[in-house]
Amino acid sequence: MTTAPAFQPADRRTRSTRPRVPRLGSVLREQVRATGFALRGAALIATALLALLTLWVALQSVSRDVGITLNAWPTQVPGIIGALLPIAVWARDERFGPGFLWTLPVDRRRHALTKALAGWVWLMGGVALFVLWLLALTSATGGRALPPETLHLVTSQVTTAGPLDPAALRAVRWTPGPLIWVIPFTAATATYLLASALVLGSRHPLRWVIGTVLAYLLSSVATEVAGAGLRVGWLEDAPERLLRPLIYGRYGLDALLTARIESLGASATLATGEQTTVWWGVPQLADWRIATLLWTSAGLLALWAAASRHRERRRA
Amino acid sequence: MTHTDPRDGGYAVATHGLSKRYGRESALERVDLRVPEEAVYVLVGVNGAGKSTLFKVLMNLERPDAGTAEVFGLDTGSAGPEVRVQVGYVPERQDAPYRSMTCARLLQHAAAFYPDWDHAYADHLIRALGVRLERRVGGLSKGETRRLQLVLALAYRPALLLLDEPTEGLDPVVRRRALALLAEHLADAPTTVLISTHHIDELESLADHVGVLRDGRLVAQMPREELQRTVRSYWLEVPDGWEAPVELQPTGLQRSSAGRDVRCTLVGEERDVSQRLAAAGARVRQVTKLALEDAALAFLPEDPS
Repeated sequence: MTTAPAFQPADRRTRSTRPRVPRLGSVLREQVRATGFALRGAALIATALLALLTLWVALQSVSRDVGITLNAWPTQVPGIIGALLPIAVWARDERFGPGFLWTLPVDRRRHALTKALAGWVWLMGGVALFVLWLLALTSATGGRALPPETLHLVTSQVTTAGPLDPAALRAVRWTPGPLIWVIPFTAATATYLLASALVLGSRHPLRWVIGTVLAYLLSSVATEVAGAGLRVGWLEDAPERLLRPLIYGRYGLDALLTARIESLGASATLATGEQTTVWWGVPQLADWRIATLLWTSAGLLALWAAASRHRERRRA
Repeated sequence: MTHTDPRDGGYAVATHGLSKRYGRESALERVDLRVPEEAVYVLVGVNGAGKSTLFKVLMNLERPDAGTAEVFGLDTGSAGPEVRVQVGYVPERQDAPYRSMTCARLLQHAAAFYPDWDHAYADHLIRALGVRLERRVGGLSKGETRRLQLVLALAYRPALLLLDEPTEGLDPVVRRRALALLAEHLADAPTTVLISTHHIDELESLADHVGVLRDGRLVAQMPREELQRTVRSYWLEVPDGWEAPVELQPTGLQRSSAGRDVRCTLVGEERDVSQRLAAAGARVRQVTKLALEDAALAFLPEDPS
């Protein structure tokens, strides 16, 4: 028997009204579910890594009987996760071409942004779990989260070459405020937006990343050779000097990711032979706020532009 | 050659001078397609004729270089979501999305986008086509993927079905079952079907309009009855060195000769064609009505190169 099993249709249907398109809320809910499904693999890997780290800290804690203090907080990890997550979010979609996503009855640009939003929801959940994990670990090992720090500030006239004179350091008491707990979330958000824009807006995002790194390396070598040959000092490290403000500047990437905690402090040897962390400034949350505003705005604009590559077009 | 008679006053699909190029290759060239509402319109053409491109344009998956396309009066370029919610689309490609999902999860995912998704009907389609819900999409064979695509396209009872070689990859049993489901679907709700296929014979009982795409051009579209009335096979007895009349040559589609006997497929009203042939010195020995497939294929080159 090759015919279809009998179905009991009612009287022949009529089509009096046009079918409805789905509500944006329904689309978002479904995309959150589907994106969560797509991120299962990445979540498993992250969980395994955290479990290993927990085990390592526990073993260290038992063997040395020391607590952990989160005085190096915040870390760059949430920002890095934010930058990598879009790859997993979009991995199963044919972003360019007649992919299934684009056959659905949702405005394309809106759909792309909704999917990006769904990924962001999971990202925030992940970052929250990461922060909770850090706090739990700190608490379990008897450490303190964000204890007051004594920063050894380097006075401006001291150069970094050679051992430092302890007299050139000024001790400053710094107590990180609770607002610093927001940094992982904003950092992850900004990097997620920028990376989402790259993944959604380009057919070959990896080629762009590799190409940019290669271009930087090549231009560094080229300018160094040219600078040395022409005896033009400023040319030798021109690419680095151009890039430095973008990463370590007042509103650079490090200000976004760690409120410049990473770049303002550095390990140094004192004239007494002692190793210590010296600081070129006290981390300012005001700088972080502006950096967050700038990078997040840039991310939002870039994501809008990237999503617009998929728009329906020819809208009357 | 395009003749259509819109029933109920409207076209489900209408394109106006639709053109699409890929680099130097022209995929569609000034196509004026007219699919009457509730018609089953069979689109015929060799591989690369532009059929799939046309479907993609109608889904707004491809943007035409020139011309416009309308589905139920909506411009496909400016009202994409409103068009797509009324269209069930089976693409030419037999690779389903989200390979790590199970079939059940994928159907659940799709259902969230169609407020009119009919769960009872979807279950019926799943059973009828033998879709195994627990299977991962990535592990499906081509035929199984096709079955899943058919469920995805039909389950919300769209007013228009765009089926791009829907039975390709299906075994004969499932193929027949899928066609039975399609017939049942048409009987159950007013539905327009635009279907491309290389198996025109299997649509013999369903098709009521036929269009032929050749090198991106729509070289013919007409109701099925008109096609079978005007495209006929003529068995002629001709003198040596006979050539078909010039006015018949553009539509003198296929020709085979054996001595003074010539068999050719010609387009036109039989009486008119016969008179022209007689005037040109040929004696019409027999005129044969063609099957739908033969009539449609008459517009395609015998040598695809």
